[in-house]
Amino acid sequence: MLVAGPANSGVAPQCCTVLAHGIGTRSDLPVPVGLAAAAAAATLVISFAVLAVLWRSPRRRGTGRPLPAGLAAVLDAAPLRLGLQLLTLAAAVAVVTVGLAGPPDPARNLAPWAFYVTFWVGIVPASLLLGPVWRVLNPLRLLHRAVAAMLRIDPGAGVRELPEKIGYWPAAVSLAVFGWFELAFPARAQPVSVAVFLLAYAGVHLAAATVFGRRWFDRGDGFEVYSVLVGALAPLGRRAGDGRLVLRNPLDGLAAVPLAPGLVGVVVALLGATAYDGLSRTQLWNALVPPGLATGTGGLLLAFVLVGVVFGLGTFTVASTRPSAAGGAGGPVAFAPTLAPIAAGYAIAHYFSLLVFDGQQVGILASDPLGTGADLLGTAGRTIDYTVVGTTTIALVQLGGIVLGHLVAAASAHDQAYRLFPRRVALRTQYPMLAAMVTLTIGAVGLVFAA
Amino acid sequence: MFRRPESRLAGLVAALVLALAGCAAAAGPATVAPAVAADGTHRIDLAFADGAVSGGPARYAVAVGSPVEVVVASDVADEVHLHGYDRSSFVTAGATTTLRFVADVPGVFEIELEQRGARLAQLEVS
Repeated sequence: MLVAGPANSGVAPQCCTVLAHGIGTRSDLPVPVGLAAAAAAATLVISFAVLAVLWRSPRRRGTGRPLPAGLAAVLDAAPLRLGLQLLTLAAAVAVVTVGLAGPPDPARNLAPWAFYVTFWVGIVPASLLLGPVWRVLNPLRLLHRAVAAMLRIDPGAGVRELPEKIGYWPAAVSLAVFGWFELAFPARAQPVSVAVFLLAYAGVHLAAATVFGRRWFDRGDGFEVYSVLVGALAPLGRRAGDGRLVLRNPLDGLAAVPLAPGLVGVVVALLGATAYDGLSRTQLWNALVPPGLATGTGGLLLAFVLVGVVFGLGTFTVASTRPSAAGGAGGPVAFAPTLAPIAAGYAIAHYFSLLVFDGQQVGILASDPLGTGADLLGTAGRTIDYTVVGTTTIALVQLGGIVLGHLVAAASAHDQAYRLFPRRVALRTQYPMLAAMVTLTIGAVGLVFAA
Repeated sequence: MFRRPESRLAGLVAALVLALAGCAAAAGPATVAPAVAADGTHRIDLAFADGAVSGGPARYAVAVGSPVEVVVASDVADEVHLHGYDRSSFVTAGATTTLRFVADVPGVFEIELEQRGARLAQLEVS
């Protein structure tokens, strides 16, 4: 955990140690038992309702309502997008610079806070509202254009073609490595570690994109794929035919996520990492398992395996059933996007209070980024205000996010099943899928209850 | 009875819920209520020796607004740090040190020996 406190607390801080679970100054209270029970009950009711009440024939995929032409033109404008990309690139460079050259104490250096809280947690609400924002903002794309221009390589095609069967696997690996770095690596809070990780990540993906073209980012950049998956739930999307910005149904967004091998791996990595974060905060885990690199890595791998097994069991009938719809790429990968709402719900449950409280620390530390005693924003002397949101609100947001995620996921799986399979078969594939989702959701409720 | 998929699903879900309820009920060690002095101060006594806190790191529960006193006896020199509240105090080898504060922020906070990274206890304020 990092320390929150005034930048000039007067106590010479020692090298900051990091405790078993991720970053942050405080953990959430366990949710009250009554609320947890209500959430679990709601999950079951939703599951049975989805089976009993929802449509029994393929739902016509909507095209969405186009935004007003003026608004769409502004949002699509190339100068706006370029400007946002440049700003993000500048912010990324600033974070890396502060990480390398700023105060070595994580309590005084904004790099770990900006990376783990503002970026990694913030990407979820940003994508839920606005769609795949990181695809627009990703500074690596801008850097890739520059590198490709310098080396006279076509940024679109690259040097070699990316094989289709690679799919999303590089993104899954990226996310798994990030999860390990965030949750198990002992020096994860050190500003220099964060800066080095960012540089290494950028280096690897820039090199890959130079070779395979900018399509690499669509499939290989873990953060972009995360933003695309969560952004599929946003009310804002692009129409398939002409790419026009539209307001659309999240179910249509999920159905439009491009399927490719490795998407299951991405979802497992996301759910597993967040689940391990929650697991490592429970009293039971803290009492039984000593903190350390080996136990952290083991716990994370265990979480990946558990989530993978649950998903595998949920889709075993899908794997053995031939799809009927023309072009129906069936199989478990077609149901991977349906877990995106559950991943978003997990993220909200575990990280909402972190964003609200520890997210303030970035604004506080940004006043004195290099530890020179400056006060650029006038916030240098402040401390985190823990009164901005109460514990009951936090508990309601946690459980609400989990239950709402389950609702959308169940509806999406239902939608997908009826699109891919004939009616009788579709219903049969839903039972194990719903059981898997109930398992994951009640597991999520259990994690915030046992915190 | 378990032919029909619906009852299979119901059975699976019921078993699952029971299992999870069981796990949650046994969700780990219960929290400890610290002793309350005559003036209403909640006192938490911790002893750090031979590389670990005696009795293992426990979770102490106090109500929001309670005055709290954390007394740490350590056989090594280090800095006792309460996260979130950001209270710290140095302790010399063989001596004790005390953190005094009012627990006005709800949540779960770590108390640790900063340099060693050794967890001493958790404070649950609700």
